Amino acid sequence: MIERDVVCPFCGCLCDDLELETEGGKIVKVQNGCSLAESTFMNDTRLPAPIRRTETGWEDISYNEAIKETAEILRDADRPLLYGWSSTHGEAQSIGVHIAELIGAVIDNTSTVCHGPSILAIQEVGHPGCTLGQVKNRADVIIYWGANPVEAHPRHMSRYTTYATGFFVPEARRERTVIVVDTRRTDTANIADEFVQIERGGDYAVFSALRAIVRGNASVIPRKVAGVSKEQLIRIAEICKKAKFGAIFFGLGLTMSRGKYKNIRNAIELTDELNRHTKFVISPLRGHGNVYGSNEVFTWMTGYPFAVDFARGIAFYNPGETTAVDILRRGECDAALIVASDPGANFPRAAAAHLAKIPTVVIDPHVNATTALSRIHIPCTAAGIDAAGTAYRMDGVPIRLKKVIDRGYPDDAEILKKIYDLLNGGMGP
Amino acid sequence: MRVILESKVRSKPNLPIEAEAIIPRNFLKGTDHVVFEGNKERTLSELFWIFVEGTAVSPENIEVILKGDTSRIKRVGEYMDTGSIVIEGDIGMHCGNFMSGGTIEIRGNADAWLGREMRGGTILCRGNAGHYCATGYRGEKKGMQGGKVEVSGNTGDFCAEYLAGGTVHIHGSTGDFPGAEMRGGELIIEGDATRPCGNMKNGSCVILGTVHDMLPTFEKIERRVLPEWKITADVYKGDVANRGKGNLCVRSTGLY
Repeated sequence: MIERDVVCPFCGCLCDDLELETEGGKIVKVQNGCSLAESTFMNDTRLPAPIRRTETGWEDISYNEAIKETAEILRDADRPLLYGWSSTHGEAQSIGVHIAELIGAVIDNTSTVCHGPSILAIQEVGHPGCTLGQVKNRADVIIYWGANPVEAHPRHMSRYTTYATGFFVPEARRERTVIVVDTRRTDTANIADEFVQIERGGDYAVFSALRAIVRGNASVIPRKVAGVSKEQLIRIAEICKKAKFGAIFFGLGLTMSRGKYKNIRNAIELTDELNRHTKFVISPLRGHGNVYGSNEVFTWMTGYPFAVDFARGIAFYNPGETTAVDILRRGECDAALIVASDPGANFPRAAAAHLAKIPTVVIDPHVNATTALSRIHIPCTAAGIDAAGTAYRMDGVPIRLKKVIDRGYPDDAEILKKIYDLLNGGMGP
Repeated sequence: MRVILESKVRSKPNLPIEAEAIIPRNFLKGTDHVVFEGNKERTLSELFWIFVEGTAVSPENIEVILKGDTSRIKRVGEYMDTGSIVIEGDIGMHCGNFMSGGTIEIRGNADAWLGREMRGGTILCRGNAGHYCATGYRGEKKGMQGGKVEVSGNTGDFCAEYLAGGTVHIHGSTGDFPGAEMRGGELIIEGDATRPCGNMKNGSCVILGTVHDMLPTFEKIERRVLPEWKITADVYKGDVANRGKGNLCVRSTGLY
C-alpha cells in the first residue's frame, strides 16, 4: 500500500511530501525523503516492553506496573524534573505541562541545549521572521550562519531556499545569492557564492562590524575582524543592502558557541538594521521535529517557552536557574522523567551523571543512551510513524503528523495521562 | 536587634531554598515566616536555628546574620529597603533582588544574579560573584538602576548587563561581556575583562586590567589621564553598531 503526503517527523523541516510504501504493517520503502527520513522510518527498532532495572540487570514489567511506579517516584520527589518533549506531538507535551503544574515540577524541553539562546535573544529584541513559504517565493539573498543544512536539514535548500523555484524568483539558484558563514569549510560552504570563514567565537564581533558598516560607521572598523577582511565585510553588507528580500538562517554554530544569546541578539539587530534598506528576515534552523511545538505548547500553557519551574505552584522561568542542565549539574532534582529525547547522549557529563544517581524514568520508543542511566524505560509510539498528532515546523506552522502503521504500542500521551490520573487521584487533566 | 539564622542540616542539601522572607523589616513582627524548599512550603524554624538578641522599634536597627551552609538559599534580601544582612558564608542566587536600601555583606561567594534590578542600597561581596552580577531579569530592559555593588573577587559572565544607574565596582576580573547593553551608571573593573560593553548605549566603564577580544565597534577618541585611578587610559566611544554614546576607558598599553 502506498501512503502519500506523509510528514517526516525527524527534523524541524517537517517535509510533508513523502511517499511511504507499507506491506503488512511494515514500512518497506520511503520516497522523496532525505537519508535522515529514510533512516527514521526504516531503522525503527523499538524496545519491546517496559523494563525496570534490578540489582543484576533488567526485568520486563507490565505497562500498569511501570506507570504506577513512575507516578510514585514523581509524587515522592521534592524537585522533580520533566525533560525532553521535542520528538513527540503537542498532545503529549500538553499533558506533560499539566503533570508539572500538578506536582510542582520543573519542565524543560530540548531547546535548553539547542535554540534556547535564540529564544532569549528574541525575548530581548523581537523576531523579524516569516514562514518558509515567503522565503521560498521571495528571497534572493540567503545567508546560512553557523549552520550546515546539507547535512543537518538536507532538504531545506531544495524545498525552501537555494534550489527552490519561487514565485518572484523563478530561476531559483541563478537568481539567489547564497552566503555561508562558518568557522570551517562545510559541504554547505562549498555551494556558497560567498563563503566567510570566521575565527572560532568571532561571530559577535563580525555582526557588530556589519551593523556598524550598514549604519555608515565603516571608518571605525579595523582591517580585520575575527579573521574576516574589512573588504569582504563591506562587500557582504552591500549584497545584503541591495537584496530584494534577504533571509538569514542560523544554527547551533551561533547559539551554542561563545557569547550564546548575544550572538543571536546581534544577528537580529543586524536584520533590523538591514530593514532600513530592504526587506530582511531571520530564522533559526530548529533541530528536533517538534521542538518548535514544545515551545508553542509550553508558551500557551505557562507563558514561557522552556525551563518552567512550578515548584511554588506558579510558573517561573529563568534560563540558567531553571534549565535542565543547570538543575542537574547543581544536583538539585531528586527524580526525573525523560520523554522523547536523549539527554544521556547530549548533556554535559556532570548533568548526565546526576541522572544516574536519582530515579529516572524514560518514556521513549527507542533504547538510547539515557536508558543506561534510567531506572525504568517505558516504550511508546513514535509520533508521525504509529501515532498521529500536531507538530510545529521550524517557522511556526502547525502540521498534522500522520499515523502510517500500527505497531501495537500505547501512545505516549496515553501513558502520561495515566500517570497524571494516578497523581491526581483519578481525575483527568 | 540582631537576628541570627543558622542553617540546619538537611537530608537533601542540594535542594534550593527560596527565602525572600529574609529581609530585616520582616523580623519586626517576629520570626514566623514561610520559605520554600523545592516544591514544599516550610517555616523558617524548620530550616534554621533562630536566635534573636535585643529588640528593635524600627527596621533600620535590625541586623540579620546568616550562618552555616547558605549556598543554596535564593532571594535573600529581595525587596529589602532598610537594615542590614550579613552572610557569613556563600549565598545562593538572586541575593538582593530589587533592593532599594540598606546593606548586604557577603563574606563568602555569591551565586548568579547578585543585586538583580537593584534600585538603591549597598551590596558588598568579599568573595567572587557568579554570572549576571548586578543585571536585570531575562528580557528586562533596565538592569540595576541605583545603589552600589562591590565585589572583592571576580565575577562570571554578563556582569552589569543592562546597567542603567548606580555603581558596580569589581576588584577582580570579569568573564565574558561585562557591561553588555549598558545604558547608564558606572562600571569599574580593576582586573581583566573579555569583550566589554558589547552594544553599550550609554554610561561609563573603566577597565584597569587587560581587555581581551576588544570589540571592533568602539571608536577611539583620545588618550587621557584618569587621576582617580592613577592611569593613562584610551577613551573609546560606542558601541557604534548602535547609536552608542557610552564611554569605555581602557588602561593604555602605549602600543597603539
